[in-house]
Amino acid sequence: MSDLPLSDLKVVDLSWVVAGPVIGRALADYGARVVRVESGTRVETARVVGPFHGGKTGVENSALYGNVNAGKLGLALDLSVESAREVVRDLVRWADVLIEAFTPGVMTRWGLDYEALRQIKPDLIMLSTSLMGGTGPYSSFAGYGNVGAAMAGFQNIIGWPDRPPHGPFGPYTDYVGPRFSLVILLAALDHRRRAGQGCMIDLSQAEAGIHFLAPQMADYFTQGRVTERLGNRDPHMAPHGIYPCRDREDGLVSWIALAVRDDAEWRRLAAIIDGEELARDPRFATLADRLHDVEQLDDIVGAWTQTLTSQEIEVMLQAAGIPAHTVATSGDALVDPQLAFLGHFIELDHPLHGKTVVERSRYQLSDTPAETTRVAPTIGRDNAYVLREILGYDDEHIAALETSGVLK
Amino acid sequence: MGFLSPYRVLDLTNERGLLAGKLFADLGADVIQIEPVGGSRARCVGPFVEDGPGGGRSLYWEAYACNKRGITCNLDCKEGQDLFRQLCLSADFLFESEVPGTMEHRGLSYKTLHEINPRLIYTTITPFGSHGPKALYAESEIIVWAAGTALYGNRDGDRPPLRVSVPQAYLHAAADAAGGALIAHFARLRTDQGQHVEISAQESVGQATLSGILGAAVGDLSYERLAQGPRPTNVIDQSGSGSILRRSKWIVKDGYLEMHLTMGPSVGKFTNNLLAWLREEGAIDEALADIDWIRLPQLLQSKDVSFDQVERTYAAVAVFLRRYTKTELMTIAMKRKLLLAPIATTADLGESPHLAERAFWLDVEDSTGRKQRLPGPFAHTTSDAFAFRRAAPRLGEHNHAVYAELAGISEEVFRELKRQGVIS
Repeated sequence: MSDLPLSDLKVVDLSWVVAGPVIGRALADYGARVVRVESGTRVETARVVGPFHGGKTGVENSALYGNVNAGKLGLALDLSVESAREVVRDLVRWADVLIEAFTPGVMTRWGLDYEALRQIKPDLIMLSTSLMGGTGPYSSFAGYGNVGAAMAGFQNIIGWPDRPPHGPFGPYTDYVGPRFSLVILLAALDHRRRAGQGCMIDLSQAEAGIHFLAPQMADYFTQGRVTERLGNRDPHMAPHGIYPCRDREDGLVSWIALAVRDDAEWRRLAAIIDGEELARDPRFATLADRLHDVEQLDDIVGAWTQTLTSQEIEVMLQAAGIPAHTVATSGDALVDPQLAFLGHFIELDHPLHGKTVVERSRYQLSDTPAETTRVAPTIGRDNAYVLREILGYDDEHIAALETSGVLK
Repeated sequence: MGFLSPYRVLDLTNERGLLAGKLFADLGADVIQIEPVGGSRARCVGPFVEDGPGGGRSLYWEAYACNKRGITCNLDCKEGQDLFRQLCLSADFLFESEVPGTMEHRGLSYKTLHEINPRLIYTTITPFGSHGPKALYAESEIIVWAAGTALYGNRDGDRPPLRVSVPQAYLHAAADAAGGALIAHFARLRTDQGQHVEISAQESVGQATLSGILGAAVGDLSYERLAQGPRPTNVIDQSGSGSILRRSKWIVKDGYLEMHLTMGPSVGKFTNNLLAWLREEGAIDEALADIDWIRLPQLLQSKDVSFDQVERTYAAVAVFLRRYTKTELMTIAMKRKLLLAPIATTADLGESPHLAERAFWLDVEDSTGRKQRLPGPFAHTTSDAFAFRRAAPRLGEHNHAVYAELAGISEEVFRELKRQGVIS
């Protein structure tokens, strides 16, 4: 492990669900020792959200939990008890970085806020990731991912113009936040290396999300224009969208994603759909024409796509240089030749399931590639290792903790 | 200053990667955006402000090229390639998002540049990967979403799955590029060697499935089942977000509200709090208000409560909420511990008192005095993490300064390069 870029890095990961744990997973992939602390009695949400092994609900069955915690050490601790928080303080003395994702105020109540922790670890880097950030009138606003997506502006711009907003699949800002968190955390580590100084980082998932809407915010500020939901249409491409296809062999409904980027692509698509007559149809000659008659255009495209499978269409249109792709299911992804070529799915030994599968690191480093070799912890899997080997507790100390019931 | 102030970044990206360099620039790095002589493709990505001769000004460009210096260089001619190699000598990072094969063709591949600057971290962003069966697929934003499985599960009833109405896929990939480059930086601190970092946008967007992408691999097709037909009804959904029922949008006085009527031991109390409020306001039948939503899952199973009663509760809530604005509901929610959120429009975000108090917005002014407001620091820190210096560059705005400083180009050579069309 010693050749990995982050093999000197030590991390206490008190975070949960997705936005926090994803950060530690990335660090662990590149050699960091990450101790994931969680409660086995107040089970964290990711463990009760699927997909589950064999479709069976269970706290050790979640592939989501497995995916975002692979490579970490697992310590079970009941943080509501002071002696457990003493263990956290010892971990902080050992660590370079602490990551947490509790509702703002909780860590302070536990005496584990940055001001308290830097007394015992002056150059600590503490990353707090929360929905709205640790300050401001809505800082205490807690909620699930749907709330973050609403507060960051995404719910409103996913949906059909003639219906209420539909919103994204799952907690969208949880997909954005950790990317920003990782960048600033690594930058802070580099700064610490040069300046000898730790710091506190307060990252709001909603604010990170709004960075993904920066052009739309500029549009509002410069000319008062409010971004509206467009279904799957695009102001600069037509046809553009998701069209129904013939049913699949596995019985699942099926769609093709299709985007026509210019007039020449349209003529090629039209020729494939209905021969030269449609390709020359003046109603659809230019982008402006096609946008003007977009309903009719979508009807023509949709009527054609329904006669074929998405796979047939993808092959046919890609051969003509027209952007098209099956709207992939997880089964499609598993046999996707590109994802297979990249080695996207990594199979790992699992103590309960025999095997499990995680996604590989999203960063491919030519000389120091990620090493994702160990499954996420079952609850409390590494208690003994962490307490004995990392913290140097003796048998008596460990027995006392066990007796007091905090190691679960 | 800023956390990354010692570093210089060459940013060759177009709309597929601008955000990577932007994150470095915001953290203090000297980021030099390099455009073709005719301007970056990203300048053709909307939304636009129609305020100049010859068409619009791209706000996509202004948002994601902000804080960088800007130069032009024709990388498709030998003189431009030579010039670019000189810039590489003093660079710490390079980001590029060209069509796979383009940089090799120009003699500017990772391998070539590694020879002249072994410390350079060279990061490539592609739709599917630099190599592989789909590397040269015709693509656009929606194609990448579809291929990454991030669309399939997001269906609104009878219609096809939905994407975000504005481009997102490459932002995920570009943010990953910044993270990957920094991990490589830590490798360089150990070995003094740069390396090649690659990001596939298809892989990046898989994150937006909440690991639904792993469903088939572990034998759970719940993600796919979400898309198989009309929305489920008469469902016991004990999640906090209502991810199974998907019935969490409410019409209020000035827009929409997000709120799942939560049930069960961990989250049912929020609906009880809501119904207590309705009862105080006389907005619900006593019999309906009496239902305990903490115990509702069992009560439904034992048929002590009917789904019809649940429907009537939904109806009462729907009528009641129309009396209030989003802001009023937000304030009441914090007081009464309700689990809801206003569905913010970009106007709501722009006027948000919370974001204002956190000093989230950044006001920049370009060299012509034009002002722009954008998202600012993406975190609060106790040390000086960020450095905001300038608006997005005009085409070739920093040619003189950068070429003189980094390539020692004299005024005479500069004019000659300009005459040849190598720079603008």
